[in-house]
Amino acid sequence: MRYAATWRSRVTLGLPAALALLLLVVPLVALLLRADWARIPSDLATPSVVPALRLSLTTTSTTALLCLLLGTPLAWFLARSDSRATSWVRALLTVPLVLPPVVGGVALLMTWGRNGVVGQYLTPLGIQIPFTTVAVVLAETFVAMPYYVLAVEGAMRGLDPRLEHVARTLGAGDLRYLRTVGLPLVLPGIAGGLALAWARALGEFGATITFAGNFPGRTQTLPLLVYVELERDPQVAISISILLLAVSVLVLGVLRGRWLR
Amino acid sequence: MSAPQHDGEGLDARIRLQRGAVELDVSLAARPGQVIGVLGPNGGGKTTSVLALAGVLPLADGHIRVGGDVWDDGRRRLAPEQRAVGLMLADSLLFPHLRALDNIAYGPRSRGVDRRRARDRARDELARVGLADRAAAKPAELSSGQQARVALARALATDPALLLLDEPLSALDPDTRARTRSDLAARLTAYPGVTVLVTHDPLDALTLADHLVFVEDGRVTQTGSPAEVLREPRSPYVGTVVGLNLYAAQGDSRGHVHTGDGGLLVTTAPTEGPVWATIAPSAVSLHRHEPEGSARNTWPLRIASVTMQGQSARVGLVGALALTAEVTLESVTALGLQVGQQVWAAVKATEVRTYPR
Repeated sequence: MRYAATWRSRVTLGLPAALALLLLVVPLVALLLRADWARIPSDLATPSVVPALRLSLTTTSTTALLCLLLGTPLAWFLARSDSRATSWVRALLTVPLVLPPVVGGVALLMTWGRNGVVGQYLTPLGIQIPFTTVAVVLAETFVAMPYYVLAVEGAMRGLDPRLEHVARTLGAGDLRYLRTVGLPLVLPGIAGGLALAWARALGEFGATITFAGNFPGRTQTLPLLVYVELERDPQVAISISILLLAVSVLVLGVLRGRWLR
Repeated sequence: MSAPQHDGEGLDARIRLQRGAVELDVSLAARPGQVIGVLGPNGGGKTTSVLALAGVLPLADGHIRVGGDVWDDGRRRLAPEQRAVGLMLADSLLFPHLRALDNIAYGPRSRGVDRRRARDRARDELARVGLADRAAAKPAELSSGQQARVALARALATDPALLLLDEPLSALDPDTRARTRSDLAARLTAYPGVTVLVTHDPLDALTLADHLVFVEDGRVTQTGSPAEVLREPRSPYVGTVVGLNLYAAQGDSRGHVHTGDGGLLVTTAPTEGPVWATIAPSAVSLHRHEPEGSARNTWPLRIASVTMQGQSARVGLVGALALTAEVTLESVTALGLQVGQQVWAAVKATEVRTYPR
């Protein structure tokens, strides 16, 4: 049941509420208002945009794949354990969610850089990670993986543990249960997690520019290009922004329509 | 009373483990083809016993032997998937994304049977529970009774030596429950292995099981055939389940039976020493005034509750002793029985049964 709002509550609550809404919506509308719609197709086909678009697509897809292959097993372990260690791991996982991306980039440099904790052993082998496309993927994975793992873990925890009891008495071991029952039932969670992780990777800026630099064709993804074009040709920056906005809305629509309900 | 021992074939288990507040120590034994009904109050360890038999929970001590194989002896433990066990729970827990047929074929497939033979087997099992025409239905398209039958077929499709049914009918509405109960009974008569049926519904136990085990607070309080248990309950819980007034008492040779809380019963069939005394609720008569006549046991008691059961009413009485009386609806209205009212209860000495504790 809903109660009719009184005149006073309408003012005291409605005013700040309307302000909040405006703060969020006006920038989006402004972006749409300033867009030169006729120019967008040609803007997106310019020589600087095409490589960035391609790079963004390949790196974010690779990131999504890494989340799927590495994050799913991690989510499974987290979901079936209630030990203290597990809750520490889960807490650790949320750190990249709230960490300023630039700090993430610095941390990645300290790990993979020439003298980094891991990088120092790669340098003698002639392997250099920072400022390469691999670094872009690592940066995107660093920020996107937590979204995926937490989403999938939530879905897995939602499964009735008795389903596994039954499956095991029927003769299914861990892996068969996971393949035939566990994963099919959390497919919506996996798809939702992938969409979230992919969207987060697509928007990645801070960690990428810190750790991978801004080299066209190699490490310059769409968000980095927007930053550059804003100085050079703002209209191109707006066109790319419109594209990213459209993709975000699309992901959100897909998530809401099928999985978030 | 100790559980009958069986060697080699069948089930022989002593389940000892700690789970939550319950320290479980339960022995179960059965011949192939037997259905053991495990009854007891909630939280007493019934489901824990089932999970231990299935291999989901490890034993702290004891053993589980089924059909001559050692499943758990406290040191070596077979995983659930290595045991010839079938499990059916209150919620049918069918795999929601698989068709009925594939749910049943899941067991044979997991145990290495090829797809075609697994499907054939599943079709047979589906036909045996009367659902041959619902092979392609997803669980959500089946009624709750049909889901329960598919779950039973799934549990039996792997030819388990031990079938575990944990409250298999409790999630069903009363109509469906009666029909599914008879389907279950029919299917179990054709099943050669041991069935352990956990239930809190006495009707399930009495109609489906040929041996009853009562588990209370982690311990076995009584075992026996349904007829034995109905005749001689040996714990207050069992007394409630079989619907008898039961008193732990001290008997003497003159026919006086002293209940624990100071009550006195007179019986014509005395047993000396510590005894259980029973009075059938239907043997209790109620009167407005102190009755005169042959009844040797009379008490002024207060009515604590009145519940209806078909054409009769059960009247809960408190006072010198707690007593349940079963009277006709006519006498309820004729006597004007109301909660809180004082009445006289009378029981003939011939209706008080005693047997050693």
